[in-house]
Amino acid sequence: MYIEHLSLQNFRNYARLEVSLPTGPILLYGSNAQGKTSLLEAIYYLATSRSPYTTTDRQLINWNADPDLLAFAKIGAEVVSAFRPLSRVEVTLVQEPGALHSSLNGSRLQKEIRINGVPRRVMDLIGQINVVMFLPQDLVLVEGAPSERRRYMNITLCQTDATYCEALATFEKALTQRNALLRRIADGEARPDELGYWNEQLAQAGGVLIAGRQRLLRDLEVKARRVHRDLSGGDEDLELSYQPSFLPTANNSGQLSFQVLGLDLNRQLKASDIAAQYVETLEARQGEDIARGMTLIGPQRDELRLLVNGRDLGLYGSRGQARTAVMSLKLAELEWMRDAVGEWPILLLDEVIAELDAARRAYLLDRISGAEQVLLTTTEPDIFTPEFLQKATRWHIRQGQIIMPQDGSG
Amino acid sequence: MSKAIPQSVTNLIEAFSRLPGVGPKTASRLTYYLLRAPDELSQTLAAALADLKSKTRYCSVCFNITEEDPCPICQDEARDASQVVVVEDPLDVLAVERTGAYTGRYHVLHGAISPVEGIGPEDLKIRELVERVQQGGVLEVIIATNPGMEGDATAMYVQRQLAPTGVRVTRLARGLPTGGDLEYVDSVTLLRALQGRHEM
Ligand SMILES: [Zn+2]
Repeated sequence: MYIEHLSLQNFRNYARLEVSLPTGPILLYGSNAQGKTSLLEAIYYLATSRSPYTTTDRQLINWNADPDLLAFAKIGAEVVSAFRPLSRVEVTLVQEPGALHSSLNGSRLQKEIRINGVPRRVMDLIGQINVVMFLPQDLVLVEGAPSERRRYMNITLCQTDATYCEALATFEKALTQRNALLRRIADGEARPDELGYWNEQLAQAGGVLIAGRQRLLRDLEVKARRVHRDLSGGDEDLELSYQPSFLPTANNSGQLSFQVLGLDLNRQLKASDIAAQYVETLEARQGEDIARGMTLIGPQRDELRLLVNGRDLGLYGSRGQARTAVMSLKLAELEWMRDAVGEWPILLLDEVIAELDAARRAYLLDRISGAEQVLLTTTEPDIFTPEFLQKATRWHIRQGQIIMPQDGSG
Repeated sequence: MSKAIPQSVTNLIEAFSRLPGVGPKTASRLTYYLLRAPDELSQTLAAALADLKSKTRYCSVCFNITEEDPCPICQDEARDASQVVVVEDPLDVLAVERTGAYTGRYHVLHGAISPVEGIGPEDLKIRELVERVQQGGVLEVIIATNPGMEGDATAMYVQRQLAPTGVRVTRLARGLPTGGDLEYVDSVTLLRALQGRHEM
């Protein structure tokens, strides 16, 4: 899969950009804050409908744009896939006309999506482009809060599994409603018997999420383990431990066993079996939920731990081990996504190459050498080998402009 | 708002911008349009607004908005009183009427269950529906709440409340939009259509 053409309008530092992208590695170099990363961000946004960097879409809009018009930003791409005719995807972020008294900062953004010119939902956008992104911030996968790892599983699964993505949206909506209802019950404004419908919705969707995560993690573990062994010279054994907030069992006995190592990844559970046990657990612990005014069990509280030689990396690992594990996980994700969609996803590497020693740099570049399209950013193009530079298209990025060499000598 | 603008103008702009889908710019444009337009337009508008609330009420049978009670549909002897379509809003009554295929009566709930918005079953005309069915004469209740979580929650709640009465309760089928190419149907609709498939 690759992007043939990219257009940006008022996106970050790009007032306007129309550019055709070649296949193979594209090396974007230049000083910081010139717009290298924004190109990667735009592609990531088209793939996942969110930015890898910021949680507020407002920051994506170039606010220097004509102040008389409603502020907006537009990202569009033409995507070539082995399995589909050329498709055109487009996201427009428009500032919603808010009430008179609301400040500019308070007004929200509207996301308009078009696929081949036809208006679509966010859900339909995700999966049109598959990407795997490598970032220095990926270290949060080991060192960050559990929510970072849940987010990682969600984004990865959503890109390849529409059912998962649908279930995630349903789950989040049902969770918000159920939590609101729990508070209303606590305040005496509603009755506990109104919980039934929301329990059912939560469990149905939650079952899909837990089963999907189990399936993903089993595959990732096999692949990541292999990479991690390569990278550590055979010294380290990487394991993924999936710890749902309640442990569903395969035999549906209703007995919740607790295992330190988490859910057995090799005994794949069915979403419907998980859902039945989830409903039971929700009902059994309803009193606690009402007292706390929130749903205490479910995929929104799942944990994923990374273990090296049986020890929890987040607690006992060194920085070096954490970096190795993250690289193993990301390369596993890449391989997993390639298997899942049947072709190479587009790779986005933001400033990660400079952080690696020569051996790992070579290992990483070798592992991704089969990709159809790779966009890499760097401030130091010199760190790449002459062979790599020979193959790569080199673009100098300065002040939201792409400066292309006329003769290919860079 | 600037002091250069008279209070009466500001008031109207602010009132307009409280309407759904109207931003400050549109609100100002409408207000200044009315200022320049003939007096007659403002007077017609003001009278229509005043009548809207003073002359309308809920129908005591179906809770649709009406000027006469019971509403014309509930009074229409030609319409089948044994069938009742349950909808969230008066606008949904119009949508079903536009199909031209329905000859029964209606019941308007005035919303859907949504704990987030603080709307529970007691805030809707559900108890009134159950009482209406208990009074007899209704053989089938067709639930036509909006597809989606709140509509589904409402449908399920209504169904549970009606169960003791023994009345037949059905739900609108959710299918593919007509005239659409299967390729361009969104995945939820397609999934639901697949789930709701029937024998041929
Ligand atoms: Zn009526």
